[in-house]
Amino acid sequence: MSPSRSRFRHRVRRVRERVISLVTGSGSDRRERGNSSNGRRDQGDSEDLAAAGTDESARDSVRTNGTARVAADGGTATSTGFRVRDRLDRLRFNETLQAALFWVPPALLMGWFVYGAISWNFVISLTDWSGLGQPDYASLNLEMYWRMLDDRSFIAAARNTVALLVVFTGGALVVGLLLAILVDQDIRFENTFRTIYLLPMSLSFVVTAIFWAWMYNPETGMINVVLRGLGLEVFAMNWMSDPRTKLATIIVALTWQFSGYCMIVYLAGLRAIPDEHYEAAKVDGASTVRMYWRVIIPQLRAATTSAAVVLMVFALKAFDFIFVMYGTTPGPSADILAIMMFREAFARTNWAYGSAIAMVLFLMALAIIAPYIYVQYRRGEL
Amino acid sequence: MAHERLSRRQYITATGVIGGISLTGLSGYLSDGGVQEETLEIVHWWTAGGEEEAIESLLDGYQEANPNVEIDNNPAPGGAGSALDVAIRSRIVDETPPSTFQIWPGESLRPYTDAGVLASVEDIWDDNMRDAYLESVMEAASPEDELVSVPINIHRLNNLFYNVEVVEDAGIDPEGIEDPADVLEALEAADDAGYVGMAHQTTTEWSTVQLWETVFVGQHGADVFEAYIAGETDDLEDEVRESLDLVVDYSEYFSPDAGAIAWDEGNAQVINGDAAFIHQGDWAAGQYGEAEFEYAEEWDYVPYPGTEGVYSMVMDSFVMPEPNPSPEATEAFLEYCGTVDAQERFNPIKGSIPPRTDVPIDEFPPFLQNQMEDFEASEEQPTTIAHGSAVRPEIKSEIEEAFSRFIETWDVEETTQDLLGAHEAAGY
Repeated sequence: MSPSRSRFRHRVRRVRERVISLVTGSGSDRRERGNSSNGRRDQGDSEDLAAAGTDESARDSVRTNGTARVAADGGTATSTGFRVRDRLDRLRFNETLQAALFWVPPALLMGWFVYGAISWNFVISLTDWSGLGQPDYASLNLEMYWRMLDDRSFIAAARNTVALLVVFTGGALVVGLLLAILVDQDIRFENTFRTIYLLPMSLSFVVTAIFWAWMYNPETGMINVVLRGLGLEVFAMNWMSDPRTKLATIIVALTWQFSGYCMIVYLAGLRAIPDEHYEAAKVDGASTVRMYWRVIIPQLRAATTSAAVVLMVFALKAFDFIFVMYGTTPGPSADILAIMMFREAFARTNWAYGSAIAMVLFLMALAIIAPYIYVQYRRGEL
Repeated sequence: MAHERLSRRQYITATGVIGGISLTGLSGYLSDGGVQEETLEIVHWWTAGGEEEAIESLLDGYQEANPNVEIDNNPAPGGAGSALDVAIRSRIVDETPPSTFQIWPGESLRPYTDAGVLASVEDIWDDNMRDAYLESVMEAASPEDELVSVPINIHRLNNLFYNVEVVEDAGIDPEGIEDPADVLEALEAADDAGYVGMAHQTTTEWSTVQLWETVFVGQHGADVFEAYIAGETDDLEDEVRESLDLVVDYSEYFSPDAGAIAWDEGNAQVINGDAAFIHQGDWAAGQYGEAEFEYAEEWDYVPYPGTEGVYSMVMDSFVMPEPNPSPEATEAFLEYCGTVDAQERFNPIKGSIPPRTDVPIDEFPPFLQNQMEDFEASEEQPTTIAHGSAVRPEIKSEIEEAFSRFIETWDVEETTQDLLGAHEAAGY
């Protein structure tokens, strides 16, 4: 029995059992030894536990072959021929095997190209591979990881990556939520506004990086022109060359690009909240702000979590945008790990060090994704 | 139920068809990428306007001379080879290199010669070629003991371009500027007259790297620069600091939007008459041509003050990687790149000069004719850091990082130490 049996197939089996029991009229039959509860992992589900109990008791006492004949105890009452047929039948009806055609090819492809590549990347990060020769797998150690602690470029890049991650995610969520609340007010041309807000997301980073660079231009850029027009010349800064605002230029542009996505996610969440909740809050005399803060927003937890995970993963990968705007060496105030990884691997052919940085990025992504997957799994939503 | 079964069957059929198609597509790649004796796969990064025309003209010439060879023109677009590096290095590691690829000669070749993946091209360099090339160019083509590449063009880095009208209006005589420190006075004069002194970009670091190295050569001479790039940096602290100090002084007169523009936007400020000077390689002249900005009347240039007699070379070359998928076609291509015909076709369009000194100058525009005369008359031809030939890629990347910090902080002390330690930090 494959321990990686999926929940989906389990459900399919249960449905099939039900259909068969309806057809044969018996409560529980056609069980295969292979489908015993030994490998079952979804113990959180009480219905499944109950089913497993039936399974356990039904397994040895009730056995049928193709003709729906009921045998009291297979161990004592059957001949050898019967056992072979029985086994063949079991094989025939074994869903793991039946389904293999569908799950083995993708599993192999995924295993090799995704998980295999990640594992191989980890092994490379343990070598000291650089240059255009082949790696030497004879001596593996953590030297590349120690090297990071001593590398001010790495520290700057890691700091910027975390800052980008936190501020961008927070910013995009807040802006997205505000947009969603506004669009949710039964306004006219709602669809038009929705499309307008979502549109930036469909643009490539290359395009948005170039036109944000134009907007940030201290002489002719829109931002400074508007500030000067409002008499706020003190605030008209050299946005892209001032180390204090360099990272902010990236965060603001990315927030602009992704808040539309957050809006859509939140809008779906808002639509799922029954009108009665709004009405009840109003009847109880809550102000609009208080109603949203106490009643509505707490119900958007699932939307927030899923949007945040997507945003954070995007933040880790904000490579294209920075690459177009600032090149491969953006300087200590705008460098991120993804750019540094590229620089180490392809400008300096330090493959091992580049791989180690990639592993750090991978672990960061995992640290974001894993709790989310776990919570989803616990809630039975996976 | 029947309907459901039908749709599942259709589903499976569709999956099968899609799978089949993708497999066919894949196998198409497999056979295409395989070794075919007579296909020359050439990888380069010349995909913008004039550059693309130049490479096509070169390949046309090669095709005429070798009608049997099929050419697989496979560019990897991306400024200064950023995408090409990725493609080529991965393919070299996988041992499936193309027939030939574009690369800066000199120290850029080191990672490849270290790994022993470049074939010697000593045989291709016949006596006729060796006589026509300058010693310094041949040295760049042979980072170790033997020649491994064939340079096809040379750009000059140490130019100071200017807008004639602006300079006259500001009362500056560019010919009279004698050294890099005097440039500062000229920038001041332009600033006083209400112009941007020096169009410059600091969005990315490379323009400042090349400005610094040109100032360095101008202040201390090509010999001291050669010592720096060779890693003999122990006694150079004052020299490095002095040149960085001057760059910081210049920075007061840079384009006010230097941090948000690309180099060609800076160059446009010279064309528009907003800025007086720009320091750039002679590829900047290509933009003047496109803008119909007239040489000698509207724009002109001087060798960067202090670097007269120096021709700072930015070169491109082609190499023969091993194992080579088409040894004969590649050899024929490299031979062709070394001919007068190839260089006469390629360079006028590219806006560079031929490395061969016996190419007739008639085909070239007046600006390049001047550059060709300057090149032949030049005493020293150093290579450049910013364009890969002077230091190994690892050291170049260290220096670029130092300058990416420099253009944020303009901290001369820190950058001096970074530049002195760049070789060591990169492990050389």
